[in-house]
Amino acid sequence: MIEQVLASGVILTTPILLAAIGGLVNRQAGIVNIALEGKMLIGAFVAVVVSSMTGSWLIASLAAALVGLVVGYVFSLTITRLGANMIIAGLGLNVLAGGAIGFIMSIAYRSTGTLRLPDVALLPAVLPESVTAVPLVGPMLANLDPLTIFAVLSIAALPFLLRATRFGLWIRATGNAAMVVRSVGINPKLVQEASTAFAGFFAGIAGAQLALASIGIFNEGLTAGRGFIALAAFYFARDRPWQTAAACLLFGLLDAAQIRMQTVGLPPRLIGALPYLMVLVALIITQIRSLRRAQ
Amino acid sequence: MTNWLERGFGFAVPVLIAMVVSALVLIAIGESPIDTFSLMATEAFGSPRRIASTLSASTPLLFTAIATAICFRTGVFNVGVDGAFLIGGLAAVVMGFSLPAGLGWALIPICIGVAALFGAAWLFIPGWLLAKLEVDEVVSTLMLNFIAMAITGYLVNGPFLSATSGNNVTPTVHEAAQLDRLMPPATLHGGFLIGLALLLAYAFWTRRTPTGLEGAWVGLNKRFARAVGVSVPNTIILVMVLSGVIAGIGGASHGMGQLYRFTDGFSAGYGFTGMAVALLGRNTPLGILIGAVLFGALASAGTTIQLFSDIPLDLVNIIQGIVMIFAVVELGRITFRRRARA
Repeated sequence: MIEQVLASGVILTTPILLAAIGGLVNRQAGIVNIALEGKMLIGAFVAVVVSSMTGSWLIASLAAALVGLVVGYVFSLTITRLGANMIIAGLGLNVLAGGAIGFIMSIAYRSTGTLRLPDVALLPAVLPESVTAVPLVGPMLANLDPLTIFAVLSIAALPFLLRATRFGLWIRATGNAAMVVRSVGINPKLVQEASTAFAGFFAGIAGAQLALASIGIFNEGLTAGRGFIALAAFYFARDRPWQTAAACLLFGLLDAAQIRMQTVGLPPRLIGALPYLMVLVALIITQIRSLRRAQ
Repeated sequence: MTNWLERGFGFAVPVLIAMVVSALVLIAIGESPIDTFSLMATEAFGSPRRIASTLSASTPLLFTAIATAICFRTGVFNVGVDGAFLIGGLAAVVMGFSLPAGLGWALIPICIGVAALFGAAWLFIPGWLLAKLEVDEVVSTLMLNFIAMAITGYLVNGPFLSATSGNNVTPTVHEAAQLDRLMPPATLHGGFLIGLALLLAYAFWTRRTPTGLEGAWVGLNKRFARAVGVSVPNTIILVMVLSGVIAGIGGASHGMGQLYRFTDGFSAGYGFTGMAVALLGRNTPLGILIGAVLFGALASAGTTIQLFSDIPLDLVNIIQGIVMIFAVVELGRITFRRRARA
């Protein structure tokens, strides 16, 4: 049973992790991205459509990432250039994304809610079937898809990219002291736009993984609040990459265990609220600590 | 800064942008925007019955928009109205079917009172956390929405599940606890009048009471408010609690007037549409009323238009999303940039 929870938990972690990677970079540059949910949904939709057209999971994932990037960039302009409140604009984009996808689905595919297309190429397993025999982690290894590996590599590279590269420095400086960035001749707005495009890119891939990992069918409720779970993860981890990954894994395993806990008598709906409750508690603890320190 | 002209622009520009975008979308799918818009206008306002269903659709939005505006004008970014709406709605409905029916008309004030109490308690949490610990209210209220959804979803599928009518619904409330329909067969109910009364109360509160004025001061300039002796933490808690009261009563109105029960998916995003309404109306009572009727019209016309033409209901969400984004855009910047270029 643990093997099964582990296997499905890792698969459920990937989309949250991918979205959280983009979101945490975005937040380090000073933008709270509430629209990850909408961009994941767009990514999932694009991935299913392109995968059906081309028969290639790779092209589908790239297309999802590109569309996410463009949407993220255009969206960031309303915040950086037009002074929109990022929270409200983000919630607005989520509504707009849902509406636009629903609209396209009924006009182009004459379907509402769910979209089944022929010949959708799913994500392949990376390791050979034989790894199933490995104790404990066997089923998990056999399930590993390329985008999960991409997510792990990205999160592993992220601390280095943020700490030791020029771009990482710009991003962190923009979030902490935009004046400093301006003083070295870089427009902090550009950095914020780039980081939002980056977040869109990753949210798009997250959507692609969600849609192509197992079923290959698009549904309007496919993301089911995962964009907000990702938000919860990097808030919980205060934008630190490794801790964010750990939080994502925890939420993913929780999601996988949810169905099984039902048999023990724990109501799944209440377990589903745990990530949000944890963020609330973590926020409170952080604040109490920093207030104590200030005293 | 808050003159009539600018408010009018603030209302008209996002609506116009949304109309232009949806017109382009309609042209793209080969429909005539003029025909569609005029059909929607007829469907929303063409007859007393249609007006009644438009007002019926705008009823929950009145409550959620006032509940949002009361916080936004104080500079408190409360996005948790949806959660308080759910909690209040469930509390009212549970009272409405579990108290003895013999209480008669007294059931209505009891149910509404309990809903207000639960809504107030729900938003007191993030209000207190913000005022005392400076916990970011956007995140706390966003998280509380999901928690409210989970709690009510659990209760409606567990302890309060109706024994007779299948999944995801509570039993119906006693007849005595149901708000009267104003123009049967339309679903317009007494909750609309309660909403109007609250709107008047909100108008009075913002203009004629010390706490209302203090709220505006805190929203415009915290340092000034502090300097003249306003307690910022107390003001924050007050507006959060008032927001919870209004959202809770809104849930009660929806449960006791519209559905007569609580269901999974009780709020069709009313908290978020209410946010769009409050932003569009620039937190003013008149703006909120017009905005709520506009979005009510969109929702009720959108449903019928889907039956008569090939235009999907999702167009309404496209319009709502665009309105939300452009309602928070600083119009001053657009005009300034244009002037700079010219």
